[in-house]
Amino acid sequence: MKRRRFFKALAALPAAPALLSQQPPANPQTPSAQPPGGRGGRGQANIPKFELTPADLAGDPTQRFFTPQQFSALRKLSEVLMPPLRGNPGAVECGAPEFLDFLIGASPAERQKLYRSGLDALNAHAKKQHNKAFAELSSTEADAVLRPLLAPVPWVYDAPKDSTVHFVSEAHRDIRTATQNSREWAEAGANSGRRGGFGGGGAYLNPIDPIYKG
Amino acid sequence: MTAKEYDVLIVGSGHSGGMAANILTKQGVSCLMLNAGPEPDFEHNRVNKAVYELPYRGFGQPGRLPHVFQANEFNANQWVDENEVPYTHDPANPYNWVRVRLVGGRSLFWARQSFRLSDFEFKAGDLEGNGLNWPISLADLDPYYSRVEEIFRVAGRKEGWPEFPDGNFIETNYGSDSETIKRLAELGKQRGMKFSKMRSSTGQNGLASSVNLLLPDAMATGKLEMVSNAIVREISTSKDTGLVNGAYFVDRHSRRERHVKARVVVLAAGTLESTRLLLNSGIANSSGVLGHYLHDQIYGISVVSSVPEARDGQRPQGLMGGSAFIPRFRNLKKEDKRNFIKGYCVLISSGGSASPNMFADYGEELQKKLDHYAGSCVSGSIFGERPARFENHARINKNVSDAWGIPVLHIEVKDGDNELNMAKDAANTIEELFHAAGWDIISKTDRFYPPGYSIHEVGTCRMGDNPKTSVLNKYNQSHDIKNLFVVDGSAFVTCGWQNPTMTILALSMRASEYLAGEMKKRNV
Repeated sequence: MKRRRFFKALAALPAAPALLSQQPPANPQTPSAQPPGGRGGRGQANIPKFELTPADLAGDPTQRFFTPQQFSALRKLSEVLMPPLRGNPGAVECGAPEFLDFLIGASPAERQKLYRSGLDALNAHAKKQHNKAFAELSSTEADAVLRPLLAPVPWVYDAPKDSTVHFVSEAHRDIRTATQNSREWAEAGANSGRRGGFGGGGAYLNPIDPIYKG
Repeated sequence: MTAKEYDVLIVGSGHSGGMAANILTKQGVSCLMLNAGPEPDFEHNRVNKAVYELPYRGFGQPGRLPHVFQANEFNANQWVDENEVPYTHDPANPYNWVRVRLVGGRSLFWARQSFRLSDFEFKAGDLEGNGLNWPISLADLDPYYSRVEEIFRVAGRKEGWPEFPDGNFIETNYGSDSETIKRLAELGKQRGMKFSKMRSSTGQNGLASSVNLLLPDAMATGKLEMVSNAIVREISTSKDTGLVNGAYFVDRHSRRERHVKARVVVLAAGTLESTRLLLNSGIANSSGVLGHYLHDQIYGISVVSSVPEARDGQRPQGLMGGSAFIPRFRNLKKEDKRNFIKGYCVLISSGGSASPNMFADYGEELQKKLDHYAGSCVSGSIFGERPARFENHARINKNVSDAWGIPVLHIEVKDGDNELNMAKDAANTIEELFHAAGWDIISKTDRFYPPGYSIHEVGTCRMGDNPKTSVLNKYNQSHDIKNLFVVDGSAFVTCGWQNPTMTILALSMRASEYLAGEMKKRNV
């Protein structure tokens, strides 16, 4: 106990490192007050800050979750529901389909099923009505498929009973959010002088005192 | 080494625990406060970020906080991690338990709406004929409300209406109402609705929390010690006397357990955590009602209208803007017979816009509609009272434990016809009001969030005069164990339509003064 107090007192002194170096080496049979490798040198406080490149500027996302047919349908759906408007980039330009491939791939199974089934249903509707995949439809043809599947949803927790209508409403909301919260949307806004609304920022709360793991 | 014995152990540091510490320490009582979480330092814990810098573009990590609809990716770390402290419920009957484990608890983040309950709530049993009265009335709590309102600097407009009791308000200039609010007020008057303004705690520097309004004074007395990251597992009792004598707590980081001794234990961990602790300790339940009568308020019902003359970017001066607050107007008389009991308040907001989900459209056409309605909307939403029912309860699930090995709660709450009928009445009433004003309805829903969403859960240790039907007496003191007090929302008999915070604070103040007096008289 006395030994611990002694080292604690030393550490509190401004010249503690110099004084510590004058102490005889600790008995190798007793635990060291400073575990080897547990404390860096003074140099660690002064390491230079590098300008780092965000990952999304360095590499394209890999598409991993949806099948190629499903992803093509999602990309088409994004293009139709959220095209470039009023000087803002559209969902495709903002990488919304690729982001949703990642987000839904990390989501609970129920949401994954909603998306997979919904995209399969869009392809099935397109095949039945136009004998093509949804991704191959013209704007007019896509509208003919989508129009009956649109419904106002005054209460987002009260899902439409038809699962494809439910999917389209959820996907529409997600595509809008993924688009408006993208770097591309924010940069377009900054360039045009648009202020406020989506594409903004906020105070992010870091984890507070996360559970000690040794 | 023998640890000292404290006069009072307080479990929890939110509004109720902070008030207990504030009152008791000023009366010379030594207190130890145990907090399940760490001490926040928002200045260092928060960092400004663009939403696109967040890993999930603002959506948040999928599946991380499935019961916290209030969570977003910016604030995700302020809520209790549901993997660390889970709870269970029937998937068919979801319950949203919204929790914070930081020093200061939920008082750090509350909406600051500040109301008194009225005797329409305290004596609801008389009105409804079911005997579910509180053992106290507004007159009993009035002086405590006044002191709480002074500490929290509540801004409000005095009205003189018994269903909306006035308080000790700071002067506030609300300015003149917009024409839309005036029009609604006139129409509402014909329908028995009274228009007032929101009442809110202004606090200090924008914060009305335990950590800035209550705990600093308690610490300044030198009588309060606080331990953070201390998760109370069980209240300990004396085998000789049956009285409580302290608690076992687990360090959040090391999981090492300790025991603290105290002459009195005051639980202020929040309704469900205090209840969980009592159930896990196997005490204070001779009545068999501990954990029962869990209830809160219905939120989510909403009607959105559009004022024709304010569309397409026109905003005639003075027409739009502002808000109104309509206190409960249903079931204030015995002869007011409806297909539901109790009531709801209505919040009116003028000058808003429509949301994309309100329209079956997309792309350019959708954008045209959003532009068309921008700034032209008047919306109405409610807070409605759920009845307290014995069958709606929380119990221990012995098969599931949290990260510290403490058994968790199983929560079983179902809504009934009363809630559904109230919600329909509210949506139809607001719709009719907006129609009468000459406005078009663009969205209406009578659906509401799952139980718990309001973060106003109360009732599981309800107070009463009869020890066979209540857990606590009218001073928040256990009927079974005289040196055990529970001062959070669990003591409520009925929640009312009001935000419960002012009532929790007033009850905690009253109970703490009673406790200090009993300790001086050596009755406790």
